Amino acid sequence: MRKIIANTLKKIGCEDIVEAGNGAEGLQQVGTGAIDFVVTDWNMPVMNGLEFVRELRGLQTSATLPVLMVTTNAESSDIAGAKEAGVNDYVVKPFTAETLKEKMSALLAR
Amino acid sequence: MATATESTAVPRLIESTLEVFETMVFSTLVPGPVRADAQPPAASVMGAVRFLGSLSGAVSFYASDDAGCRIAAQLLGIEPQEAGEQMADAVGEITNMIAGTFRGRMAQAGETLMITTPTVTRGSDFRAHYFNVTSRTLVPFAMGDHQVFVELVLQAA
Repeated sequence: MRKIIANTLKKIGCEDIVEAGNGAEGLQQVGTGAIDFVVTDWNMPVMNGLEFVRELRGLQTSATLPVLMVTTNAESSDIAGAKEAGVNDYVVKPFTAETLKEKMSALLAR
Repeated sequence: MATATESTAVPRLIESTLEVFETMVFSTLVPGPVRADAQPPAASVMGAVRFLGSLSGAVSFYASDDAGCRIAAQLLGIEPQEAGEQMADAVGEITNMIAGTFRGRMAQAGETLMITTPTVTRGSDFRAHYFNVTSRTLVPFAMGDHQVFVELVLQAA
């Protein structure tokens, strides 16, 4: 899924993309302070998306970082759990490049 | 004759498959006749996602190597001949999305399902066996010059 998201981000004009294979790698990247926006899958090995976002919100460098979650879990209880973990918004798979762009733009405009 | 569960589930699985391919693979699939209790097709790659809850079973997706590479290429924005190494991951993700969309559509019909992460099998001579099967329904889809299949397995709880 990571490569699919990266390909979609390129389509909508994102050029400087840093990829991480799981939540633990993602935390290392976020810890550098060089990340402006996070798009994460829910299902990841080692550390899943929810665990990743909870840890991320505990870091001083990323407490307010915009986080968009990509997921097949579209039930209201799933979404409530994601938002409780610190996710700002979510995109349900399958999604178009336009949907991803709209969601990211809305978060960046906040 | 299809059971009430099959009559609810199979159309939703077809709709889910069409939506995933239209949105993510930019391909309009053409569904063929539904085959009840058919043998799984010969395929080079199979993605499978189990589901549990008010119903138990699995959603499987079957493709040839060529079809799998075309899907991966469309998902990743690369040429099909470059997609070999990514093909299994792409088929796993497509299966995951079909099953996830199916789960959402079944929720609208009052069925509460949990789904597993996908597994992918590659090879030339394999068959998936399930226990306590109540039905296996196979749906062929034309994808341009290729044919892919989605299978719904329902199991006794």
